[in-house]
Amino acid sequence: MAEVRFEQVTKRFGDVTAVNNLSLEIPDKEFLVLVGPSGCGKSTILRLLSGLEEVNEGNIYIGDRLVNNVPPKDRDIAMVFQSYALYPHMSVYNNMAFGLSLRKTPKAEIERRVREAARVLGIEDLLKRKPRQLSGGQRQRVALGRAIVREPAAFLFDEPLSNLDAKLRVQTRAELSKLHQRLGTTFIYVTHDQIEAMTMASRIAVMNDGVLQQVGQPQELYERPDNLFVAGFIGSPAMNLFEVTVRGDQNQTYLDADSFRVAVPSTKVAMLLPYSGKKIIFGLRPEHIHVPEFMPPGTIAAPVQARVDVTELMGHEYYLYLLNGEKHFLARVDARTMPRPGQDIEVVFNIAHMYAFDPVTGKAITTTDG
Amino acid sequence: MIAELAKPQASFQGFVSRLSKFVSRLPLHVVLVGIALLWITPAFGLLTSSFRDAAAVASSGWWTAFQLPFEFTLDNYQAVLTQNRMGVSFLNSLIISIPGTVIPILVAAFAAFAFAWMRFPGRDTLFIFVVALLVVPVQMTLIPVLRLLTNLQIAGSFPAIWLAHTGYGLPFAVFLLRNFFGALPRELLESAYLDGASSVRVFFRLILPLSVPALASLAIFQFLWVWNDLLVALVILQDPGKAPMTVTITNLVSSFGAQWQLLTSAAFISMMLPLVIFFALQRYFVQGILTGAVKG
Repeated sequence: MAEVRFEQVTKRFGDVTAVNNLSLEIPDKEFLVLVGPSGCGKSTILRLLSGLEEVNEGNIYIGDRLVNNVPPKDRDIAMVFQSYALYPHMSVYNNMAFGLSLRKTPKAEIERRVREAARVLGIEDLLKRKPRQLSGGQRQRVALGRAIVREPAAFLFDEPLSNLDAKLRVQTRAELSKLHQRLGTTFIYVTHDQIEAMTMASRIAVMNDGVLQQVGQPQELYERPDNLFVAGFIGSPAMNLFEVTVRGDQNQTYLDADSFRVAVPSTKVAMLLPYSGKKIIFGLRPEHIHVPEFMPPGTIAAPVQARVDVTELMGHEYYLYLLNGEKHFLARVDARTMPRPGQDIEVVFNIAHMYAFDPVTGKAITTTDG
Repeated sequence: MIAELAKPQASFQGFVSRLSKFVSRLPLHVVLVGIALLWITPAFGLLTSSFRDAAAVASSGWWTAFQLPFEFTLDNYQAVLTQNRMGVSFLNSLIISIPGTVIPILVAAFAAFAFAWMRFPGRDTLFIFVVALLVVPVQMTLIPVLRLLTNLQIAGSFPAIWLAHTGYGLPFAVFLLRNFFGALPRELLESAYLDGASSVRVFFRLILPLSVPALASLAIFQFLWVWNDLLVALVILQDPGKAPMTVTITNLVSSFGAQWQLLTSAAFISMMLPLVIFFALQRYFVQGILTGAVKG
């Protein structure tokens, strides 16, 4: 059993609180991705779990064992570093065998495990080479192999794809997902790239400034973000956010953005009425802004005038950078639209998918349906 | 046909560009070769003198040796080697230099590892203190060190001089190695710790193999310093039977007067071993010099 549990864990470096009162449970066999901007504490969490840093407060459990004072080598975890950290003077075989030989594993067993891992990763031909003779992708596999042969209770990954080129990154993402299914072991994965998080995780934990923002399945974080930070972080391109005032009454509520206004759908009115006359943050994802000719059926359309600032053709769709008054926002529209920079167009907001956030606390007021 | 016309054109252009590069570098090369010749000339002169007999050396300059009739002789080398216990001195030099190189490097490596990768109170202050000792002139320490060794009742023995050279060599060695060890990627060591290595294992199986360039260049520095040392040997080793070559050669002057053709051959005999070591480990020497300069 390799359930991992953080109980109110805090870590300080001098005056800086890197991890602030973290409580998180990671069930066995889960692929948990810790995601957040640089400096949010995600790598520190990994290092606390591995034992490379010590907690200031709180407890960490691996399985049922309290591991606060257990040295890294006895925690039964294996780590893959961003820079792979391969031993340059040893062959690939010896790199993978090093940990096992230190634990006095019998030679035959070492041989078996190394060859099996090499087979799974497709690096059997590279066993005699030194790291400097390998490409980036190959080195990464050796780093993975080194972790796999340890047969640990949990794998820790510290931004392992950051040093790969874009194409290799996409390929390796899929391979890591497959590896997780194959090994059936807990994966705890740190990245700043929310696309990696969305594609690989069984659950995502979003961190900012040392504080856990939200943890849940990717779809849940995408459709029901708990707060402004998660809403703006998850999803690429990011959610559009507008500062608006709630106006009107029970019968007709709308959001006043000075340069435009949108009617609030009936399902959201009750939640927004307490904010009548006050400011809120209104959010809408770019894929829910359409041009009228190509809007999907079922759209609850709120028209907004805008000027096209920049267009980016992505092949299957356009990213339109739009300007309304002082407000910039992004729409993903059908590729059949023929937008030109400087063009004045009308777009429709599909406000069935609107989000609202309290401007002071950042917490979500209402969430989209379905 | 156009392609064939282009070929001689291209190779001519290639030739011209190579020629112009050569010409533009010519002044630099001339200067460099000139400086090298200037530097080598005195040593070459001494080498020539060492193959001439006393009369020739006294009467004419060494450059005249290259005119007919050639009068080169090996008598000087024979005299030096068979007399005055030069063989014993050579052995003594080895006995002093080899441990005098190995011990400081080993001690410095352990210390440098602690300074670079271990956390303990006062670490940085202690490191600055050790490096600051570089400033202290050897001459100032000779009497206190001799007194200390006398109190320990080992003054005049080989272990005493090993200890002395260890002390003198440590500041530079610790400084060089600590910077080199510190430049090793942290994740490499962390990976080893996670794999189950203790600090000792990490030191011997990771740090030392990866530090061969730094260790080799340090070995050259230290060996040369100890091999060529006269002052420390004179002060600490008072027994003539333990005298290294530097001391013995110096004594040649007093016992033979101004027979410096013997002096030149003795000097070249003494120079042989360091030269061999230098040429063998030359690439590490250059790497070692650059270690502090690049990356850091």
